[in-house]
Amino acid sequence: MLAHFWVAFVAFFGALVLGAWQMYIRSPLATWVNNPEHYYRSVTAHGTVMAYVLPTLVAMGFGYAVTELALKKRLIGIAWAWAGFWLVMAGTVMAAVTMALGKASVLYTFYPPMLASPFYYFGVVLVVVGSWIWVVLMSINLRAWKKEHPGASVPLAMYGNVAGAYLWAWTSLGAAIEILVLILPASLGLTDTINAGLARVFFSWTLHAIVYFWLMPAYIVFYTIVPRAIGGRLYSDTMGRVAFALFLVFSMPIGIHHLFADPQVGAGFKFVHAAMTAMVSVPTLLTVFTIVASVEIAGRLRGGTGLFGWVKALPWDNPMMLAVTFSFVMLGFGGAGGIINMSYQLNETIHNTQWVTGHFHLIFAGAIVLMYFMAAYELWPQLTGCAPLSPRLVKAQVWLWFVGMMILSMPWHLVGLLGMPRRMAYYDYSHPEIAPQAWTVTASAIGGFILLASGAILIYTLATARRAPSGQAQPFEFSRPAHPGGHTPVALNGLGLWVAMMVALTVVNYGYPIAQLAMLKEASVPVIPIGSR
Amino acid sequence: MRESGTFGWGNPLVRWSVVSLAALTAVSMLVGFLLLPSVHDDFSAQGLWASICRAAGVPADWGRGGAAQPGPIATTVVLERSMAKPGSSDAVGRGATLALNCTMCHGAQGMSVSDAPNLAGQYPEVVIKQLQDYRTGKRASSIMEALARNLSDQDINDLASYYAYLPKARTAPTTYDESLPALVRVGAPLRNIAPCVSCHGGIDQKLGAPWIEGMPKGYLIQQLKAFRSGERRNDASAQMRSVAWPMTDAEIEDVAAFYARKASAGGER
Repeated sequence: MLAHFWVAFVAFFGALVLGAWQMYIRSPLATWVNNPEHYYRSVTAHGTVMAYVLPTLVAMGFGYAVTELALKKRLIGIAWAWAGFWLVMAGTVMAAVTMALGKASVLYTFYPPMLASPFYYFGVVLVVVGSWIWVVLMSINLRAWKKEHPGASVPLAMYGNVAGAYLWAWTSLGAAIEILVLILPASLGLTDTINAGLARVFFSWTLHAIVYFWLMPAYIVFYTIVPRAIGGRLYSDTMGRVAFALFLVFSMPIGIHHLFADPQVGAGFKFVHAAMTAMVSVPTLLTVFTIVASVEIAGRLRGGTGLFGWVKALPWDNPMMLAVTFSFVMLGFGGAGGIINMSYQLNETIHNTQWVTGHFHLIFAGAIVLMYFMAAYELWPQLTGCAPLSPRLVKAQVWLWFVGMMILSMPWHLVGLLGMPRRMAYYDYSHPEIAPQAWTVTASAIGGFILLASGAILIYTLATARRAPSGQAQPFEFSRPAHPGGHTPVALNGLGLWVAMMVALTVVNYGYPIAQLAMLKEASVPVIPIGSR
Repeated sequence: MRESGTFGWGNPLVRWSVVSLAALTAVSMLVGFLLLPSVHDDFSAQGLWASICRAAGVPADWGRGGAAQPGPIATTVVLERSMAKPGSSDAVGRGATLALNCTMCHGAQGMSVSDAPNLAGQYPEVVIKQLQDYRTGKRASSIMEALARNLSDQDINDLASYYAYLPKARTAPTTYDESLPALVRVGAPLRNIAPCVSCHGGIDQKLGAPWIEGMPKGYLIQQLKAFRSGERRNDASAQMRSVAWPMTDAEIEDVAAFYARKASAGGER
């Protein structure tokens, strides 16, 4: 587990440096590098690490930790877990070398007909296959525990953890099919045309639900660690289960909202996916309500009274309190922006602008990754036997991350509304029409450097953690529900029903577009290998 | 905590979840495939079934009354990656013989001494495409059209293999800094001009885009102006016409001078 976290955070820091560099050279602060390929190479590496390597390793490491801590038994299949880890490592190295050589500057979404060297795709496949081992292990461990404890409620942390694993197994299938069936044959030179529309539909299968896979560890922290860390109780255990189950059902068959501007998908399916996307806000709002209620319990336990008195009584010097507040603020702004993205018509105003970049940085890099940090801080004493980490450093890191992310992403939202396109390597600030927007890029670059400082503190804090004098860490506890002794409805103690609904809904929402595009001969277009000459 | 209830259709939570998901799906399908298309004239013009098909994304003839007018066809050549493969030594040999016909303008070793383009080291698919376009009249030149008319497909492929085999007008390595004309390095994003180096070599070399380093300046200016006026129109997606259209005379001069200045080895002409 420690290995997972370390690799994840070291890769994360490298990608953070690249991210800050990208903002810097694109801003008026620096002269332009004069080679957009270097810029896109960097963006590809940043995206691949941040989107595939970091969250996958964190989800795996955190998942193994949750299994041992929540089920209170050793992980079954540790050897397999190491095999999965090394597969992810091999894939990361393979993709990283290919990207560094400039053979894969296709961005992490690798939309055909652009094609990278096959080694890049092999690397991504290895990362995914390594994570599939984790999925299987999570399922096996839950089954074994249920067999030993018939009729008992599965601990909420494990329930969410396995929900995330199943979600990932099903959603990664889309990109896996895209790579194995469409991209690799073209990248290896076996074919010289590719069904680009179909590939994009398959990628959308993965592209949206992957976000909820990233989100799961953060939500597990919200439900099962935050209330305990700030001295409160979880308001409702059942609500947590409902939220995880709804994520399974609705996060998957909605990806076509990424293809609103794609002509190959019918308007009817676009509407259906938009409507289902709206449903995803339900588990998010449930979570916000439940966690705020849990926090209120903490405030009232500390003697807060009155309508808002409990807010003042909260432990504001507690890093977790700070983190969950910042996370919800970013989730709030990002979520509101997301509702604009998913609206079939409003989307037109911001499609492919910097607004989108701002949106996913706020939600993922802001709200979610902040909780990854907190998960690591919470687990570190368990994993390394160190004394609790310095709250001063942790608070500084959390503050910097929040401030940096707001300074980074708010200007993006603004210029996105003004129409600044995303994925641009170069802006001509001397042009009178865009010169007034130049300051926003400078602002974002400053935000990027603040984030970099925050990342440096994270690495420093984790690396310098000292061994506890007693040598033995406190036993780890998850949060306790406000109403212990309640019953868990049987449907919310297993995942079978929800997985079945997820699969059925995917078949309904994706079946026809995929079948139709697969049979359409005219959909094949010539490939464009990047950097082949 | 314990679990309660039994799993199955009798469980109200299970029943309720499945029924409401099915209902939600049905309602959103009805809205997406029936209600919304019905208020758009272009969806509903051909009846209910046609409007459902359109909402589902079935490709159909969207024009009302008859086929759409086909626009002018820029070129009949479809660039394929197989065209870019180097030819066999036989092909190179046959091409060398045929190329004796071309030396008057394009130079003995494919290095032009007039304002005709250099062909030495040119990418094979470029030569194939241009010769085929001359043959079909899609690219105009009284001399080249007449010469190309007598060439078979095999002749054209052999010529392409031969010229690709010759060494390029290899020029001094370029460092990508501010000394290059802006249009070459970064283009002009606000005027939709892509940088030259993103297709013609330097950063990327796209299929069908010629090697232009060391080309005679007069030829480059003439072609850019022909693209700008629309006189030359054999670029399949109008990519060069779009790039040249917003360019000023001074910019054309600047870019052509840059590529010509990267002159042939030794500078002898």
